[in-house]
Amino acid sequence: MKSIRGKLFIILSFLFALSLGLNFFSYLSFMELKSKREQIQLGNQLELELSQLPSNLKANATQLNSLKKLNQRLTPPLRKAGVSEMLTHLEKRRTGTFKKHLKTFKTNETEFRRFNLNRMDYLEKKVLFLMGLGAVFLIFGFAALHILFKHLVIVPIRNLSSKMLDFLHNRYTYQFGSPSNDEIGHLHANFNSLAQRVISHTDELKSLDQAKSDFLSIASHELRTPLTSIKGSLSLLKGGMGGELNEVTTELLGIAETESDRLIRLINDLLDLAKIEAGKLPLSTIWVPVDDLIKTTFNSLQGLAQSASVELVYENAAQNVQVMIDKDRIQQVLTNLMSNAVKFSPKGDCVIAKVILIENEGIRFEIKDHGKGIDPEDQKLIFQKFRQASGPNNPIVKGTGLGLAIAKALVEEHQGEIGLKSKPGEGSTFFFTLKEWRFASTHPVVEAS
Amino acid sequence: MKILLAEDDHNISKIACLALEKMGGHQVEWVSDGKMALERALAGDYDLILLDEMMPEINGLKVCELYQQQSSSPKPVIFLSAKSQEGDVKAFEKIGLGFIAKPFDPMTLNQSITQLLESKAA
Repeated sequence: MKSIRGKLFIILSFLFALSLGLNFFSYLSFMELKSKREQIQLGNQLELELSQLPSNLKANATQLNSLKKLNQRLTPPLRKAGVSEMLTHLEKRRTGTFKKHLKTFKTNETEFRRFNLNRMDYLEKKVLFLMGLGAVFLIFGFAALHILFKHLVIVPIRNLSSKMLDFLHNRYTYQFGSPSNDEIGHLHANFNSLAQRVISHTDELKSLDQAKSDFLSIASHELRTPLTSIKGSLSLLKGGMGGELNEVTTELLGIAETESDRLIRLINDLLDLAKIEAGKLPLSTIWVPVDDLIKTTFNSLQGLAQSASVELVYENAAQNVQVMIDKDRIQQVLTNLMSNAVKFSPKGDCVIAKVILIENEGIRFEIKDHGKGIDPEDQKLIFQKFRQASGPNNPIVKGTGLGLAIAKALVEEHQGEIGLKSKPGEGSTFFFTLKEWRFASTHPVVEAS
Repeated sequence: MKILLAEDDHNISKIACLALEKMGGHQVEWVSDGKMALERALAGDYDLILLDEMMPEINGLKVCELYQQQSSSPKPVIFLSAKSQEGDVKAFEKIGLGFIAKPFDPMTLNQSITQLLESKAA
């Protein structure tokens, strides 16, 4: 029998049969003991009732009936026959004969008791012995069962479990040996197959990941190299390296230069996004005062805002607050949202940057413009790659179409959320939240070197 | 100034040479791989060495390292590179004087070099 179930079945049936046999024999002995005791008691009862007869030995009907009833229950048959003959004499009032029989009966009873008491002693011992034997077998049976169970079930499960732990901790040092041919062996074999599948898949994923990294680095080099030459040549031509230029040439060179700049930006954005999505953009986070963050962003956008005649307004509802961020990256997000807001604002209007402290949520940055707003359908798509809100109400504003996708990825990398509220005709509010913040009053800012 | 330019891309070299010679008035010698760059840097007498990071034979960082080990009086080294990730930038600044990111603007190339040299002098 190969299976654990079979082995356990055999040993359990053996134990069951043994205990059944022992029980049967002790039951037989016990029943015999019981009937002996009863017969002795019956004899005593008979003797007692006979001794209560009147001295003239004339028994009344009640006494006779009671005696006859007792007689019915006597065994063995010889004893019963003797007593019933004696009772017939009593009934027929043959006093002499009855007395003789009574004497014989008493002698026989004494003999019967003596013999049976010995037998009862023996039976009592036998029952006790069988019970003891049963208990011993039970203990040995359980011990055997325990050893078998430990050997067949517990130890292999422990081995398998420790192998699983090894696997979990990337120690592939163990051999994939051939496991035993039982249920746990099958479990073991299945685990081995699973582990090998996982290992091969992991290797595959690692090589894919490596391929992606390689692609990123090659793409960034191979795409930027020709652009370096193109942009350099254009720049030199425009700078007068090839001699004086007429107006049309200057304009055309300007277009070529602007568009090659756009191509470079697009490549940078794409590579940034690919890096963020691959988790290859490690964040170096420090505590940054919210005020500094907004003011730096405002400074960098001053030129854009002035040329678009848009005013930048800062409303801080969370005074003296610092956030734990990668400063450059969150700056990138803010710059993106604010420059969008400026681009879509009507002339002479303002863009409002608001910082709000929300309990259980963190710090919320809101960038509000009074532009044309965004259609609800476009709102769903706007954070996807290469999506820009366009249509009759929105003139296409030049951009790579990746800014919001990058902003989303960067905010999410900071465990934050990004979104927008907008109604066509009423402007848009873009917002994002940052989880880790504290009040500055108790923590002086330490500038990271 | 006498400048050694190591750059494997022919077109980029041409543009850089034009900018450095015609606009900066420097004297430029050009090599196209790392091995030659190291030989010439050790043999010649240059005031500045411009190294591309990704070059055949030996890469820019390695060339710089070997040059600084072997030269008796190493001259300032500036890297030209399309790699602008934080880790790369730190390596450039640690080993060399600094780096100029590709794509660079030839009109401001001389200015960038002067700034880096001045920052070292300061």
